[in-house]
Amino acid sequence: MDRSDDLDRKAAMEKRVAERLAARAAKEAAQAQQAEERTAADVTDPSTYMGPADTRSGQPAEGGVVGAGGRGKIDGLAKITGRAIFADDLKLPRMAHAKVLRSPHPHARIVSIDTHEALAMEGVLAVVVGTDLPTRHGAIPVVMDETALALDKVRYIGEPVACVCATSEELAWLACQRINVVYELLPPVLTIEDALDADKPAIHEWRRKGGNVLRKVDQSYGDVDAALAGSDLVLEESYEYPASTHVPLEAHCAVAAPSDEGRLTVWSSTQNPHYMHRTLTRVLGMEQASIRLIKPDVGAGYGGKCDTFCSDILSAHLARLLGRPVKMAMEREEVFYAHRGRHRTRMWLKMGMNKDGRITAIDFKAWADGGAYSSYGVVTSYYLGVFMPLPYRLDNYRFESTRLYTNHPPAGPKRGHGAIQPRFALEVHLDRMARALGLEPADVRANNLFPPDSITVNGLRITSMGLPDCLAQVREASGYDEKVGLQDSGPFKRGIGLAASAYMCGALHPIYQTDTPHSGIQLKIDRSGRVTAFTGTADCGQGSNHMVACVVAERLGIQPEMITVIEADSDLCPVDLGSYSSRVTFMAGNAALHAAETMRSRLVTAVADKFGVQPEDVLCCDGQYSAGDQALKWTDVIELAESRFGTLGATGSYRPPKIGSRFRRQSVGPSPAYSFTAQVAEVTVDEETGIVTVHDIWAAHDLGRVLHPEIAMGQIEGCVYMGVGEAMLEEQRYRDGVMTTPSILEYRIPTVYDTPEIHAILVESHDPEGPFGAKECGEGPQLSTVPAIANAIFHASGIWLTHPPFTPEKVLRALRQRDLQRAREAT
Amino acid sequence: MLPLPSFSLLAPDRLDDVLAPLGQPGVRLLAGGTDLLPSMKHRLFKPATLLSLSRVPELARIEPTEDGGLRIGAMATLLGVRQDARVRAGWPALASACATVATRTIQAMGTLGGNVMLDTRCLYYNQPAGWRASIGGCLKAEGSVCHVAPRGTGCYAAQSSDTVPSLMLYEAELELLSRRGSRRLALSELFSADGRDGPRIERDELLRAVILPPPGAVVLHRKVRPRGAIDYGMLLVAVRRQGDGGSAVISALGPAPVSVRVEQLGDLAQAAWKASNPLSTHSWSSTWRKHMVRIEVARAVAELTTPRLAIAHG
Repeated sequence: MDRSDDLDRKAAMEKRVAERLAARAAKEAAQAQQAEERTAADVTDPSTYMGPADTRSGQPAEGGVVGAGGRGKIDGLAKITGRAIFADDLKLPRMAHAKVLRSPHPHARIVSIDTHEALAMEGVLAVVVGTDLPTRHGAIPVVMDETALALDKVRYIGEPVACVCATSEELAWLACQRINVVYELLPPVLTIEDALDADKPAIHEWRRKGGNVLRKVDQSYGDVDAALAGSDLVLEESYEYPASTHVPLEAHCAVAAPSDEGRLTVWSSTQNPHYMHRTLTRVLGMEQASIRLIKPDVGAGYGGKCDTFCSDILSAHLARLLGRPVKMAMEREEVFYAHRGRHRTRMWLKMGMNKDGRITAIDFKAWADGGAYSSYGVVTSYYLGVFMPLPYRLDNYRFESTRLYTNHPPAGPKRGHGAIQPRFALEVHLDRMARALGLEPADVRANNLFPPDSITVNGLRITSMGLPDCLAQVREASGYDEKVGLQDSGPFKRGIGLAASAYMCGALHPIYQTDTPHSGIQLKIDRSGRVTAFTGTADCGQGSNHMVACVVAERLGIQPEMITVIEADSDLCPVDLGSYSSRVTFMAGNAALHAAETMRSRLVTAVADKFGVQPEDVLCCDGQYSAGDQALKWTDVIELAESRFGTLGATGSYRPPKIGSRFRRQSVGPSPAYSFTAQVAEVTVDEETGIVTVHDIWAAHDLGRVLHPEIAMGQIEGCVYMGVGEAMLEEQRYRDGVMTTPSILEYRIPTVYDTPEIHAILVESHDPEGPFGAKECGEGPQLSTVPAIANAIFHASGIWLTHPPFTPEKVLRALRQRDLQRAREAT
Repeated sequence: MLPLPSFSLLAPDRLDDVLAPLGQPGVRLLAGGTDLLPSMKHRLFKPATLLSLSRVPELARIEPTEDGGLRIGAMATLLGVRQDARVRAGWPALASACATVATRTIQAMGTLGGNVMLDTRCLYYNQPAGWRASIGGCLKAEGSVCHVAPRGTGCYAAQSSDTVPSLMLYEAELELLSRRGSRRLALSELFSADGRDGPRIERDELLRAVILPPPGAVVLHRKVRPRGAIDYGMLLVAVRRQGDGGSAVISALGPAPVSVRVEQLGDLAQAAWKASNPLSTHSWSSTWRKHMVRIEVARAVAELTTPRLAIAHG
């Protein structure tokens, strides 16, 4: 064949491809343009919505409960006096104890397990190995890659291999040491590079494809390359965010007991009882109706108790097998191996900005070390990218994120799941570019914001938007504008930095396909006037019980103390999907409002008829229903209404509206609302030692509407505290697959001496769809802490840190590089 | 909860009954227990018998000596020492060192004797049993390789007592007691060059008291740790001014504290830096810890030579 012919054909093909690409880019640009012109109302399809007809957004609280301060949590006293009952407090007659033997190898085949010696010990009741419970399960049903105990292979140091149940905890532990496991060692995959290398052994060799890539997500909106090419300034930088873990005060624990007719009751320290209920059913091969799942008081989760753990499955299995109650409580070291914490993430970010500070395009890549199992990793892979176009206007965005398997303990959801790492990169990047252009970074942020009722380039619907207020308030409260002009001399350099962020208020879609509500509430009123709210929500210390009581009390015109909240007991309570994705206030709050609304209309009807007034003229406040000079006290209202309508009960549900996105691929990320935060950090850098001291953090958070100011401030303070830990101290470190820090002595969370003064500022934006306009405040406020500190360090010392935690050694290294650079520039 | 291995507990109320079983195989002294009990949970020690000193009141006494010094019973708590008016007036660096131990609750249980006799510590040693199994053990525990210096033959676990550096500069002595009698040992003679060997006293000897010579020495104590509380030091520094010159004790970098003495106080930081050779016994970098020796000593010297502070400490 003629060679020139060949070349012609090749050129023609290239031309066709180029034309096709250009056409696609033009179409996408047109779509983006269109998207920008659409409003929140255009994309909202209320046909699937279940919930209160009127969320009372923007209206003043008439019951005097919503927003009122100085009131304790309804379950606060039980917690501080030790009356609260946690799973490990449960002691049942004939209760046996289970312990697991864990793998000492990061990657090995199990050749044999000899349990004879352990079984022969007096007091040992049963020994269980992986093949006794071979059904795979997973946090996300699309990837079920986990078993209660390792089946034929171990994939991380600390993976449960065999379990002993004995009459005492110590005996179970001793018997575990008598189990003899023969391993055949396999080469471990311990780095992001190795996990990406297709020639390395697959950790889950039974998966048909993908090597050690669990999920790769690729999304592109607008024309990133053209926008970057036309930008006044383009900056490219790599970042690395370390692995960290939750450190809940309470270690994971489960107790299971057989009950009548072959049923099983399981008490577990979980954030997601409903999903766990489904997993237990699957793994144990039981009917869901045969398991009663109860979540007792939980000593914090922060995302670490979203999965189903070996303790849950094994205690249930053993209780069934032995016909007696079984407890399995993890030790602190085991909590580090159970992990499901922050993914160590390597990132690459390229961003364009024009001279006026307008962001033109973002090109972003992320690789996340997910450890040996998927947990919520599929969701992580999306969260690493989808929130980036919030809260700044952005027409051109492309991301590629890869969630990898390695032979480390499994990473999972930790407060600010998947969004923390890219937010750190973006906010540092933005400061850097603004400063390079001679612009004030805080102004650049303020000038790039979406207005309320906007659609982002990737189809996220923003309704309420209080970030302008947050920015203004943190600048004012911190004295940012004056302090940013100051510069110290001498070895101690003071600096101030700012960052902003956005987070979701509940995932729009549950982890499994269903048309059922995301949250349900049942209300019942006793003749004494006592109201009981049955809710599937899982209070893990964040205050969701009080939130439910607060919403119901406000609507019924009584005090929260009149309400008993019965939560997370599958025999008693309607389903709620769980305490994850910052969904509870928004979704369960709406279900509570829905139920209260229904109940109230009955009470008001009865009272209005008696008074001879219209229902809307009845005022419900402080335990009294009144109209003009007529009034009835609460118990009389109940008697009247019960006489009229019979037993008083009401249900409430919440299911979000469908939010139309033209992107089919956009199923993870959309939320019915987004919360916003701005933070300012003030630090001192000791340039001789590299030690950074964080003095103050001002955090203004748009939570829509304040339901309970002290709980909200507590959540913000907790977020900032955790952020300070990740910025300054915390890192899950490994050496050859061995975690070097599996204790709270070596894995250092800040003490009170290491915690800055935290100034929480509550900003209200009255979300149209949140209960009383409320949005989340339990995760979002963490997102801007680390970048605010990084930006403050730059302001103090002129160094950009790209790899938290900002340890003295890293700071010193960066200072030396700065000095070298300055010396070079001087000569 | 991590189960504590079984042991029998002896708690005599007479000193003679303490001395009798001391030195027998499987017997270990229990003072405050704040370090021993967690280590037992980690299966670093499996004593058959714990011999508690808590019922012998005389061991907890703090009393002046005839020459104007102070005799602090080994069982005096760190909180008690820290709060003792005589200690605060005469040996303030010791009081401030006690105040840096872990937390106040641990200071209330931990004792001065226990702190002086503290086992050496290492990132690869002070870990749970299952964890150590995953690295094949370490030289100080059940293994044959030191993970800090894999090609070496010694153990580098670090002497981490907060009170030792200032006690050394106050020239403290230890009063040791056994069935054979009583003797005194300079504190500086207590430490072994190898992290496995433990304090250099006889197996049947009991640390009865720490003896401080009369006050007068001007000493400052500094502790470098990742957090403002709880943590063991990753560098401990004590500095003493002696005329134009001075001395420093640098600890938590190796099995034994390092002493340096210079004729000119201005040379102390450099001398201390030169004498320090930290290894990776801590999760924070040894390079940075060495860097910090010079800075911490220099800052302590600056504080000592600031007139206002010199008066306060003198």
